[in-house]
Amino acid sequence: MFSLYKKEVQSYFLSPFAYVVSALFLLVFSLSFVRGISTMNSNVMKFSFPNIFYNNFFYFIFMIPLLTMRTFAEERKSHTETLWLSAPITIPQVVLAKFLAVATVYLIMLLLSLFFPLVVFWHGSVVGSSLLCGYIGFFLWGLVCIAVGMLMSALTDSPIIAAVLGEAAMVLVLFLDNFTSTQFVQSVKPLHAILSWFSTENRFAVFSQGLFSIADLVFFLALSAVVLIWTIIVIEKRRWSRG
Amino acid sequence: MVEIKNLTKYYGENPAVQDISFTVGDHEVLGFLGPNGAGKSTTMNMITGCLPSTSGTVLVDGFDIAKNPLEVKRRIGYLPELPPVYPDMRVREYLTFAAGLKGVPRAERKKQVENAMERLHITDVQKRIIGNLSKGYRQRVGFSQALLGTPKFLILDEPTVGLDPTQVMEVRRLIQDLAKDHTIIFSTHILAEVTAVCERVVIINKGQIRAEDTIANLENSMPGDKMLKLKVEGDITRITAILNETEGVLSVEEVEYEASGVNSFTVKVKDDNVRKPIVASLVAQDCMVVEITSVHSSLEDVFIRLTGSGKQSRDDEPAKSADTGKEDA
Repeated sequence: MFSLYKKEVQSYFLSPFAYVVSALFLLVFSLSFVRGISTMNSNVMKFSFPNIFYNNFFYFIFMIPLLTMRTFAEERKSHTETLWLSAPITIPQVVLAKFLAVATVYLIMLLLSLFFPLVVFWHGSVVGSSLLCGYIGFFLWGLVCIAVGMLMSALTDSPIIAAVLGEAAMVLVLFLDNFTSTQFVQSVKPLHAILSWFSTENRFAVFSQGLFSIADLVFFLALSAVVLIWTIIVIEKRRWSRG
Repeated sequence: MVEIKNLTKYYGENPAVQDISFTVGDHEVLGFLGPNGAGKSTTMNMITGCLPSTSGTVLVDGFDIAKNPLEVKRRIGYLPELPPVYPDMRVREYLTFAAGLKGVPRAERKKQVENAMERLHITDVQKRIIGNLSKGYRQRVGFSQALLGTPKFLILDEPTVGLDPTQVMEVRRLIQDLAKDHTIIFSTHILAEVTAVCERVVIINKGQIRAEDTIANLENSMPGDKMLKLKVEGDITRITAILNETEGVLSVEEVEYEASGVNSFTVKVKDDNVRKPIVASLVAQDCMVVEITSVHSSLEDVFIRLTGSGKQSRDDEPAKSADTGKEDA
C-alpha cells in the first residue's frame, strides 16, 4: 500500500500538475491577501487569515477536483487499473492510498501558503491560535472535498467529466449552506436541523474563529470516511460490470 | 495447478463466457485460442481476479479466487491485453513500484526488477519515460511487470500483439524459457504461436469451449482427406477438365489466381500416389506444372472448423470433433 501511496504522490510532482494547481492556489491566495491588506484600514471587515480561506471557498473548491479528477478516471482510461486489480492488494487499500496521496499534495499546497503569514509575522503580529485552527479547519474541509472528488472520478472514465462533476458536487455542498439559512428552511424546524447538521461552512467557521472543536473534527473525518466507503462501493460495482 | 470450473460471465443479458471448465497442470504451457471477441480476455480477467465471475469457480493451488483473492493474486503474474503501464513514469521506477505493489520485500526489489528487465531486454531503456517508448517496448515493460514477485503462474493475454517479427520470436523463446519454472496460460489468435510454444490448447468460440487437447491430437482429429496443391500454367477450364479426368482425383476444390497465366488448384485426391499421373497428364497436354505440394490438415484447419469462421454449414460439426479429440486423449 505504501508503494502505491508513494507512486501517487510522485506522479503529481512528475507531471506539471501539482505545480500548476499549487501556483493557481497561491495566486488566488495572494490576491485575497493583497486585497485584505489594502482594505485593512477601512474597518468594515477585519483582516484575518481564516477570513481569506473563508472568503475564497468558492475559488478553492475549483482546485481540489483538479487534483482528484485523475485518481480513478485516468486509470480506467489508460487501462492501468488492471495492475492493482490483479495485485495482492484490496480495493479499500487502493482507495485509502490514493486518498492519502492527494491529501499529502493538498497539505503541501497549504504549507506553501504559510509564506504569507510568515511575511506578516516578520512585519507585524499574527494571532497564532486563529491561524493554526484556520489551517486545520481548512485542511479538514479539504479532506471532504478530496473524498467527494475521488468519488466523482470513480464514476466516470473521463478526467474532465470527473472534474466538472466534482465541482458541481462541491458547489452543491456550498449551496446547501445558503439554502439552510433561507427563511423557508428556517421555518421548518426539523428540516433546518437536519440540513444544518450537514452544513460544512458553519463548522469551518468554528475553526476560523480560533476554536478547535472535537465534534467538528469528527464530523469532517467521518464525512470523508463515508464518501470514501462510497467510492470503494462504486469501484467494486464497476468491477462487476466492466467489459 | 489452476482449476477452472463452470466459469460463466454475463454482461447484463449477454453471455460473454458460458460454462467454461479446464485444468492447467504445473509446469504446463496452455494456449488459449479463439477469434476476436470469443471471451479470451474475459476468462483471463476472471482467472486473475480483475473481474468477478457470474458463476463458477477458479481455484489456484487450491485457493478460491472469490474467497481468498490475495492468496491467488500473490501466485499470479498477469499481462493484460493492454499493458498496464503509467506513461509518465520511467521504466525502472515503474517496475520498482509494481514490485512493491506485489509485495516484494524491499531488499529483493532491486534484484527482481533488474532480473525482469534483463529477461525482456529493456535494461537499456530503464531510465526512459514509458510514454515515449514504442509500443513494442511498452509491451515488454508490461511483460516484465508480470514476472515480478516470482509468481508461479503467468497469465499472458496476447503477449505478442504489437511486436515486430524479431520481437515476436524473442517473446516466443522467452515463453519457452519461462516454461521451465512457471505454469503459463497464454491467449492468442495467431496459430503459429501456439504451435511454436504450447503442448496443449483450449479453443474457445462465442464464450464456449470448442476443443481441449494436445495439438497433435487435434490435427489428427481432422477428417483424413488428402489434398494436393498444384500451381499450373495455362487455361483454367482446360486444366480443371484434365484434372477431373485423371484417375484418383476426387474433386477440384478451389482455384486461385497466382500470377498472370498461373493458377493454383487445390485438389482432393485418393492418396499421394496420384501425383505422378496428374503431372504426367498435365505435361502431356502441354500444361506447365510450376509447383506441387501436399496440404496437411493443420491446426489452422482445426481452428477454422471449430470456430466456424469458415463456412457456416460446418457449425454443427465442432461439438462432434471436439468429442473425438477428447476420446483420443
